[in-house]
Amino acid sequence: MVNVTVPKARIVEALRACRAAGLEMLTDVFGIDYLTYPGHRGKRFVVVYNVHDVRGTDRLFVRVEVDDGESVPTATEVWRGADFLERETFDMLGIEFEGHPNLRKLLTPEDLDGHPHRKDFPLGETPTLFNDGRFLDPAAFRAGLTGRSQGLTGWMGGARRGVTSTEGTLPGDGRGKA
Amino acid sequence: MRINVGPQHPSTHGVLRLVVDLDGEQIVSLKPQVGYLHTGFEKTMENRTYQQCVTYSNRMDYLHAFAHDLAYVLAVEKLMDARVPVRAQRVRVILTELNRIASHLVFFGTGMLDMGALTPYFYCMREREGLMDIFEAVSGVRMNYGYFRVGGLYQDVPDTFEPMVRKWIDAFPKHADEYYNLFMANSILKARTQGVAVVTRDMAIDYALTGPSARASGVPLDYRKAAPYSGYEEYVFDVPTREEGDIYARMAVRFEEMLESCKIVRQALDMLEPGPVKDPDRRISLPPRRELENSMEAVIFHFKLVTEGFHPPKGEVYVPTESARGELGYYVISDGGSMPYRVKVKAPSLANLQSLEPSSIGGLFADMVINIASFDPVLGDVDK
Repeated sequence: MVNVTVPKARIVEALRACRAAGLEMLTDVFGIDYLTYPGHRGKRFVVVYNVHDVRGTDRLFVRVEVDDGESVPTATEVWRGADFLERETFDMLGIEFEGHPNLRKLLTPEDLDGHPHRKDFPLGETPTLFNDGRFLDPAAFRAGLTGRSQGLTGWMGGARRGVTSTEGTLPGDGRGKA
Repeated sequence: MRINVGPQHPSTHGVLRLVVDLDGEQIVSLKPQVGYLHTGFEKTMENRTYQQCVTYSNRMDYLHAFAHDLAYVLAVEKLMDARVPVRAQRVRVILTELNRIASHLVFFGTGMLDMGALTPYFYCMREREGLMDIFEAVSGVRMNYGYFRVGGLYQDVPDTFEPMVRKWIDAFPKHADEYYNLFMANSILKARTQGVAVVTRDMAIDYALTGPSARASGVPLDYRKAAPYSGYEEYVFDVPTREEGDIYARMAVRFEEMLESCKIVRQALDMLEPGPVKDPDRRISLPPRRELENSMEAVIFHFKLVTEGFHPPKGEVYVPTESARGELGYYVISDGGSMPYRVKVKAPSLANLQSLEPSSIGGLFADMVINIASFDPVLGDVDK
């Protein structure tokens, strides 16, 4: 594996040089969050460009270091195929690509707040909405396991905004009162 | 006129949504919308031990599941510097290649169905059924095999494995001839697919198209040849390529690939010799059951491996492999713990799906449906 770290301002230039030098295909773009990596120094995120030649024998990983809130120039002018790959990186880590023609989320639902591949993304904390309008709040569910509440609570509308109270809130939610 | 295609429709081969702008019957613009199957496998793998992750890798591309397992275990084995026994490597190659044929058979069956040809579907599924029986005999299930392990295989193949594979491999080329005459040589199919939805070589490179679809456009990219893994360098086989880049070329490449895979399987079967199927290194593989009864040390290793898993050294690895759809690789980062710090799957279907837009624009709407099938996307592979 050959890695090369490039300053952010010169990334497009570097990728153009890669393409001119025969590493003609950009097969993947992704980000890594080093927030909890032991012994990591330097900026929090790294964006990796995986480029190789058309025969697949030579491969180079071009890396750019960025901090939270920083953006990276887009590679879509060098490879049109960078479109989806950069959108996925934006979706998963929240790194913005300047000049990207259509920087929207790619995989996660539109109403999901946050970027799942960040190391500080809360796991198992997204309330789950059920068809009948009730939703499962993880905190309340865990409390339910200890016998303090039934777990299922609330009604549609509060699902993504989080729950303020877990105690007998709305009509029809009689499960915890019996 | 703007038309919404999918996400729930048989012709989209999964849950793919397309927003298509039409001028008459001509496509002006096409925007794929993906993510309906996003399951967060990569994130889940960060919270499982390295051996447990095999459960997740094969669920992404359910049609060529062994390739995903192989790509994942190869990456971790490189990290661990594991020595995989020869027998395990050969069985891996046999199963991956048979699975490639099974995947291409689904491609042909469902692709023809999109064109209104019902009969090929049944022939293709009949062939695939024989392969499913083999996979079931080996791993116990027909999908989501999870049979490969870091350092080798879960267990040795049953005695029935070799005769089953031989029987299937001997019968298939003869059937393939019939299928060739049935659909590939069919003049209606040729008229429908030749010169339609052309992906030029430049376009393929620009959009990072890989796999059979790229080889149909004259990009000779095949990691089994370019960067051999699991002993692919020992087998004699060709990489079929085409220059035309149309739908027919994409089908023809896959058809020839099935026969090449047959060749590889036959050679691997001939070279298959009895032996161990796991790395004997106790850091990676569970000790054999009989040792647990009289060796305290074996019990300790067993306990540590099951409860905690192994700890690869710090590092980052990437091993490119060739799946039925294209370049497939796992970028695995280890922080020295028993679970991966980060796993990034370079899944071929996502990048390949981007070529759908430029190749469909200017064409007819009815051709677009075949065009989706001709790239053979698996939406589990796209959405991860």
